[in-house]
Amino acid sequence: MNAIEARELKKSFNGVAAVNGVSFSVREGEVFGFLGPNGAGKTTTIRMLVGLLKPDGGKAFIMGYDVIKNPIEARELIGVVPEESNPYPDLSAWDNLRLVGMLYALPGKEIRERGMSLLKLLGIEEVKDRKVRGFSKGMKQKLLIAMALIGGPRVLFLDEPTSGLDVFSVRKIHELISELSREGVTVFLTTHNVEEAGAICDRVAIIDKGRIVAMGSPDELKIKTGGYLYLSVVFDREVGGDVKEILGDYEFKLGGRKLLVVCKEPGEVIGRIVDYARAKGLKIERVRTSEPSMAEVFMRIVGAK
Amino acid sequence: MMDFKFARRVWGICYKDIKVYYMKGPIVLMGVIFPLFLWIAFYAGRGFGVREGIPSLLIMTLFFTSSSVTPVIPPWETRQKTLEMLLTRPVTITTVLAGDMAASTLFGLIFSIPPVVIGMLMGAFPNNPAYLVGMILLTSLGFSAMGMIFSALPTDIPADVILLANTIKLPLIFVSGVLIPLDKMPSWAMPIALVSPLTYPADFFKWLYFGGYFDMGLDASITVIMVLILMLVAVKLHRRTIFSRLQR
Ligand SMILES: Nc1ncnc2c1ncn2[C@@H]1O[C@H](COP(=O)(O)OP(=O)(O)O)[C@@H](O)[C@H]1O
Ligand SMILES: [Mg+2]
Repeated sequence: MNAIEARELKKSFNGVAAVNGVSFSVREGEVFGFLGPNGAGKTTTIRMLVGLLKPDGGKAFIMGYDVIKNPIEARELIGVVPEESNPYPDLSAWDNLRLVGMLYALPGKEIRERGMSLLKLLGIEEVKDRKVRGFSKGMKQKLLIAMALIGGPRVLFLDEPTSGLDVFSVRKIHELISELSREGVTVFLTTHNVEEAGAICDRVAIIDKGRIVAMGSPDELKIKTGGYLYLSVVFDREVGGDVKEILGDYEFKLGGRKLLVVCKEPGEVIGRIVDYARAKGLKIERVRTSEPSMAEVFMRIVGAK
Repeated sequence: MMDFKFARRVWGICYKDIKVYYMKGPIVLMGVIFPLFLWIAFYAGRGFGVREGIPSLLIMTLFFTSSSVTPVIPPWETRQKTLEMLLTRPVTITTVLAGDMAASTLFGLIFSIPPVVIGMLMGAFPNNPAYLVGMILLTSLGFSAMGMIFSALPTDIPADVILLANTIKLPLIFVSGVLIPLDKMPSWAMPIALVSPLTYPADFFKWLYFGGYFDMGLDASITVIMVLILMLVAVKLHRRTIFSRLQR
C-alpha cells in the first residue's frame, strides 16, 4: 500500500486551473519532494491531499483512506505543517501543543511527555509559556512542526518548511526530516529550492503550472547537489544545432543564444565550447557554472523560456 | 461518534475557546452590561416587581451571552487561519462546532448566575431550582446553536456575521414576550412570537417565578425540539459551506 496516492487531482480557481491532473504515489518511509516555482500549484496540491480543499476532479488517499470520504481516519495518520503559520497567537506555545494533542485524542500524560520532548528537540522549550503572538518566524515554524508531530504521524506534510528561515533552523529541520524518515515516517514536502529538494528527498516531482513535468530521484533529475553542475553559456548570436557534435554525450539544451550543459567537470566542456565558438566566429558573452537553480532545471526539463 | 475520542476533541476545542475568547473584556461587557441596561431602561418606573423582572433579565442575559461568540469564532478563525490548522487534525467541522457550542453554553451558564442570585437577594426564588438549572442549560445550548447558524455564512469578516446576527436577534427580544408580555403584544406580532426560540424558555422562566402564558410542559417540549432543530441546522449549514470557507 502506498502512503500517499494522488489520482488525477484537479482544481481551478475562478476558471483558472491551479492544479491540472496531478498523479503520483509515495511509498511508505519515502521523502518525497514537490519542487516548483511560486504559483505552480504546490500548496493547492497539499491542501487537497490533506482534505482541506475539495478537488474538482480526482482523488487523494492516505494509507488507503480517501481523504474526503474518511477524513478522520486519514487525518489520524498525518501531521501537517502549513505554509502560513497559524498557531493561536493568543495562546502560549504549550497551550497550542496541548490543544493539538487533545485533537489527536491523546491522554494528558502522553501529551505532557511527548510535548516536552518535542519542544526540547526543536529547541523551543524555554519559550513554551509565552504567547505565540510575539514569536519569530523560526520559532513559529518550530512550534508548528512540534504540533504536526505530537500525534505521532505516519505521514508528515510540510509546505515550504524552510522558506525564510536562517541557516541553523534550516539545518535543524533537514536533520529532523532525515531522522523521521529513518524511523519510517513518510515525508511529503514542497519547496521552490532545488538544492533543498536535491539534498533531502528520495524522490522529487517537478511541478509547473499545475502539472508534473518530471519525476524521479535527484540523481535521475540531475539535481543532486555536489554531483552535477549546470554550465550556462551565452553567445552574441543564435547557435546552430551543430553544437551537438562537439558536446558528444553531454546532456544539453539550446535556447537561442543560450546553451545549458549538464556536466560533472565543466573545465573540459568549456574547452570544447571555446573551440567551437572560435571555429564559428561566435563571441562568448557570458559563462557561468552553478548548482542547479530552478531556472536552469526548468530550461533543461521544460525547455528555454 | 459519541465516543471517548470525540469527547476529548470537543473538550480540547471548548477549552481553547474559553482561553481565547472568554477571557476578554468586550464579551463580558456585551453579556452583562447590555442586557442589564436594556432591562433597566424597560422596567424602570413601571412598578414591576422583582418576580416579574428576574425571568426577563435571565433570558436576556442568556440570549446575549450564549449567542454572542458563536457567530464570531468561525469567520475570525478563517481569517486567522487557525480553523484550517484545526481541520488538518483528526476532526471535522462538526467536532469544531460541538466544541464551540459547548464553550458558549458554559459561558451562558456562568453569566446566568448573577441574575438568579440578585433575584434571590431581593427575595425572588424560583419555585423549582432543578427546573431552573435544566432550562438554563437547554436555553444556553439553543442560543449557542442559533449564533452558530449565522456564522455558516462563508465569510472571513466577523463584522458581516455580527451585523446579520444583530439584525435578527435584537427585534426578537421585543416580540418574544420577554420585555412585552405576550398578552399585551399586538396581534400581528403573535405569529413571530410563536416561532421565536426565545418565547418558550422565556415563558418557562416566568412560570418558575410567578406565572406564564402557555403551559410549562408545552414550553419545555417545544424548547427541546427547537434546540435540536437549531443544532441540526447549524451543523448542516456549516457542513455545506466549509469548503468554500476554506477556499476563501
Ligand atoms: N484560494 C485561491 N483563490 C484563487 N486563486 C488561488 C487560490 N489558491 C491558489 N490560487 C492560485 O492557484 C495557483 C497555484 O497556487 P499555489 O498552489 O498556492 O502555488 P504554490 O504553492 O506552488 O506557490 C496560483 O496561481 C494562485 O494564485
Ligand atoms: Mg505555496
